[in-house]
Amino acid sequence: MRIVRLIAWREYMENVRTKSFWAGILMVPIIFIGIFFVQSKLSQVTPTRYYLLVDQTGRYEQAVQAAIDLEFQRKILQEFISYLLDNRKETDLRLTAANTSSAADQLIDDVGADEVSALNEWIVNGGLDFALTMAAPYLRENAPPFVHPPQQFIAATLPEGINDSDSPDEIVEQLRPYLSGEREILVDGRKGEVFALILIPADVDNYITRPNTMPTQSSNPRIGIQYWGRNLTDTRLPNAIERSINREIRRNEFVKNGFDTTVVRNIQRTRLPLSRLDPTAGEGEEGFSLADAYQQFAPIGFVYFMFIVLMQSVQYLLSNTIEEKSNRIIEVLLASVTPGELMMGKLLGIGLSSLTTIIVWISTLVMFLLFYQTPETQAITRILEVIFDSELIPWFIFYTLAGYALYSGVFLAIGSLCNTIKEAQILMMPMIIMLLIPLTVMPFVVMDPNNTVFRIMSWFPLFTPYLMMNRAAANPPMVDVIGTTIVLVLSIVFVLWLSGRVFRQGVLRTGQPPRILELFQLMRRGE
Amino acid sequence: MTHTQEQVLELKNVRKNYGKFTAVKDISLTIPKGSIYGFLGPNGAGKTTTIRMILDIIKPSAGTISIMGGSSALDVRHEIGYLPEEKGLYKKMAVNAVITYFAMLKGMTKKAAQTRTDELLEKYDLNDFADALVETLSKGMAQKVQVLSTIAHNPSLVILDEPFSGLDPINQQVLETLIRDMADNGQTVIFSTHIMEHAERLCDRILLIAKGQKIFDGTVAEAKSLIPRRILLETRGSIDSLQSLENITEVSKVPVEPGLDPSYLVHIPKDTHPQDILKHCFDHNIALSRFEYAEPSLHDVFVHLVGDSAWEQRL
Repeated sequence: MRIVRLIAWREYMENVRTKSFWAGILMVPIIFIGIFFVQSKLSQVTPTRYYLLVDQTGRYEQAVQAAIDLEFQRKILQEFISYLLDNRKETDLRLTAANTSSAADQLIDDVGADEVSALNEWIVNGGLDFALTMAAPYLRENAPPFVHPPQQFIAATLPEGINDSDSPDEIVEQLRPYLSGEREILVDGRKGEVFALILIPADVDNYITRPNTMPTQSSNPRIGIQYWGRNLTDTRLPNAIERSINREIRRNEFVKNGFDTTVVRNIQRTRLPLSRLDPTAGEGEEGFSLADAYQQFAPIGFVYFMFIVLMQSVQYLLSNTIEEKSNRIIEVLLASVTPGELMMGKLLGIGLSSLTTIIVWISTLVMFLLFYQTPETQAITRILEVIFDSELIPWFIFYTLAGYALYSGVFLAIGSLCNTIKEAQILMMPMIIMLLIPLTVMPFVVMDPNNTVFRIMSWFPLFTPYLMMNRAAANPPMVDVIGTTIVLVLSIVFVLWLSGRVFRQGVLRTGQPPRILELFQLMRRGE
Repeated sequence: MTHTQEQVLELKNVRKNYGKFTAVKDISLTIPKGSIYGFLGPNGAGKTTTIRMILDIIKPSAGTISIMGGSSALDVRHEIGYLPEEKGLYKKMAVNAVITYFAMLKGMTKKAAQTRTDELLEKYDLNDFADALVETLSKGMAQKVQVLSTIAHNPSLVILDEPFSGLDPINQQVLETLIRDMADNGQTVIFSTHIMEHAERLCDRILLIAKGQKIFDGTVAEAKSLIPRRILLETRGSIDSLQSLENITEVSKVPVEPGLDPSYLVHIPKDTHPQDILKHCFDHNIALSRFEYAEPSLHDVFVHLVGDSAWEQRL
């Protein structure tokens, strides 16, 4: 054991003494924090966009304006909800729809359940002003004031010389330089690019389609409402306009058919809530809360984290073994220690390096959350509190260790057979693909953790750490937990034993890595 | 054969097959304690494979190995120091750290290993490089460090595989002195080489090996006695009288440059003294312009036993 400790310590010290080790592990939190900043800044710096509206019918301009206002209100509502979540006096994520106690909670729940209805309710009730008054008693004392988001879309007037009564094709031709960005328009004395042109031709009603009627057949793409813009991947504005104008058209249809539109709207907003209930939870705790949702999805985060940690560890193992082999140190070592001691020392040493990595990452995250307190980081802190309060941590520790023992054994054997990283990459590829399979099914596992396919897959040892971690939040059947654990532990013992045989043969090999048949012979001989 | 305290190593019919290829064929030998033993042979002769089997790094396909009373070198690994043919050290480690590390792997305590490291660095003029990283050293210097890390734990048995390759003449001399010092200290040294001169100068006993087979095992003197001794004569006179001498095995003419005196190689058996030949020349008025008696070299012995082609092909 002394020898194993000695080898492990040297491996560990060699890793942690290098600048590249620290650069590598610090890079991850730096990148994540960078992404966090960029994302939070991006949401604040979305530029104001100018649009041109030509409504030749004279009937839909209000609907378009309403759509744009609605979009803006949606943004305000979303930011207000986020503000409310971040600044409430007590944020108890364990609250469910059944036991929410305040109007603020009711609003949050409404938005989560049906955003369209909640948005209507929001506007009918008086929007932000009302919401701020309503929420005031629930905000903590030092809550910062709500920052009103800037208007996203602003209407601009047609450039001089363009007549909105011209034919749609003429209007488009005249505006083409503005739409393509070659020219800019003047809005309140400032120049700006035209983001979009919404052109509603005079004959637009001819294109209305109704049930049981044939849709208009035309090879001309310019049918119905014409939305011109260079950025057609951003569908927020065209969708909002389409919805709003169609709402207006339907309203007209209701009127034409003698319906009271107020009654219709009220009927449309009628809803019966649905409670999501967990039969395995105790009496009174069966309601599905936000915390439950976090806990249900948390394994995805754990599995990704596990994957990153394991991949990093096996990379260390591979490069380290190949270095020793190419530097010809291995032969001296094998005259001093047994292959088993060497292998265990390496596994332990590299495992310590990985543990250091995890500690550094978690410490960086904790420090970041402690010293950079923003609504977003506070929200992350609360989510982490829920996750760390759950039963997932022991699962994570067990499956990470088990995964490390299993995969590292395999990768160590691969490393022993190769003289260069390039050779190792070729041998590693099938293994990496194998490890990616559970990652690809991960979102489906969260939706249906005890599905028969996933239950069967969990019994395959290479998938067990990922899939069982993935299923951990859904109380998998005890037979799965115990059975897969036994198979996993036996597999680890077998893989380490087999790797030892390959390792012993492989480290002294020179030349090309073995072919499959040779590999089996190595495993069989294992001398 | 029973193991006695005087033997540190005994190989009995040791064989190593790699598939259909036999790398080592039924080698048997014993190595006495405190001796300097040379494994000689061209590259690819099976020296390294034999050494690896001795160290239990690879298992023999057949035969038995007894080392320092045990059946596996790993049982007595703290008593053995090994320098492999392919030299290598941890490049990112400091010189003193690497020597200490290998000494500790061989069972020394950290403190004892550090003290011994300091002693060795001082003795072999490497003090100035104690804290230098191995990657900053020259090849010869790194090899010197590796030799020191091999012997740092004061092993009873030191096995050096091609220790002289890569060293400049000065460091080769240092290594020869080191090997002699170890033998004087009672340590047994086994080293392999394909350069016979080192073995001739150092070895008490040698193993000649070619194509995996033992050609000879014994002392250097015994090896040399296997082939007739030779005298080189240069004379314008007739050497016919020499041909009739009973104590001469063979006389052959040596091709020489035009204008030089004719040369002859006179082979004499081991019980014939060269002076008898010289006396015969004086007695028969053979005017000598050159009389050169030379002991056969190990290379001559090897070529005699295996043939020149075996050596040339492998080198």
